[in-house]
Amino acid sequence: MPSIINSDDGVVSGSSGLKTTGGNDGITNFQQNGTTQATITAAGLFQFNSGYGSVATAYGCRAWVNFNGTSTVAIRASGNVTSITDNGTGDYTVNFTTAMPDANYGVTGSCMRPDRVQNNIFGPISTLSTTSVRIQSKNDGGAADDSPEVSVAIFR
Amino acid sequence: MTLILNGDTGLSDVDGSASTPAISGTDANTGIYFPGADRIGFAEGGVQCGEFDASGNLKFNSGYGSVATAYGCRAWVNFNGTSTVAIRASGNVTSITDNGTGDYTVNFTSAMPDVNYSVVGVTGGWGSAYNYATVNVGAGATPTTSAVRIATRTAGTFNDEVAVCVSVFR
Repeated sequence: MPSIINSDDGVVSGSSGLKTTGGNDGITNFQQNGTTQATITAAGLFQFNSGYGSVATAYGCRAWVNFNGTSTVAIRASGNVTSITDNGTGDYTVNFTTAMPDANYGVTGSCMRPDRVQNNIFGPISTLSTTSVRIQSKNDGGAADDSPEVSVAIFR
Repeated sequence: MTLILNGDTGLSDVDGSASTPAISGTDANTGIYFPGADRIGFAEGGVQCGEFDASGNLKFNSGYGSVATAYGCRAWVNFNGTSTVAIRASGNVTSITDNGTGDYTVNFTSAMPDVNYSVVGVTGGWGSAYNYATVNVGAGATPTTSAVRIATRTAGTFNDEVAVCVSVFR
């Protein structure tokens, strides 16, 4: 099976490799056995399959963290999160290592109590900023509550 | 190993390895290589850092500890669900339909391949009220390939929220 670095338009039949399309459209394709499995579009969008069924744009998780929000707050693992600020009971600020490009990113997350006494719910509680997001954990009764398992993910 | 340079098919027949990639710059152990049939690998410092495997899965490390498949966030949106609904920013979301108090439909720009995707979401009140609601997927309607309907509720009651964030994985 040949490996191809190609700068011609059209599929490289039966080959695996890197192909930049001809002309000035700025598209780069990664091909396997003549099939495009990933593309970087002219607009800089990264498209891949990974079980989706076709090559489609995927958006990046730009920061994530798993931390213990009880007692002295402790990060278990993270990506692009430099620290967690403990603002009080069930009230945390997730600080990014590298700032987001704007404050309109998407946030998701969860809080839980392994003892199953109550289900904690999660939400951002102040206007988002490029350098951090403030979130809160509340219990079933609506009261702020520290959670031992807090997970936050940022998409942009 | 014969290196072939052809005007139609390009440069071929060098697979390389993580330590000596087929395509590299002045740093000889960093570049692109071809670890097997229908596979494209990426190496840094002589170590594999990424790959498109034979099934089209994208694998990378990024602190994971090894090269592993990453699944895509195929749509996301951050919108203001109060008054006239307004998208702040999004990816692959063309619009939000306001179905009533705390009841929204997220419409995708490009349809999902099936209806079995995963949806997660949170809301935030922002400001002194510190109110937020849970996001319920479905809201009485089964997800479709082109849209997912969600509800935001506080203590079981539909409630409009200032910040609603929804992400879809597939």
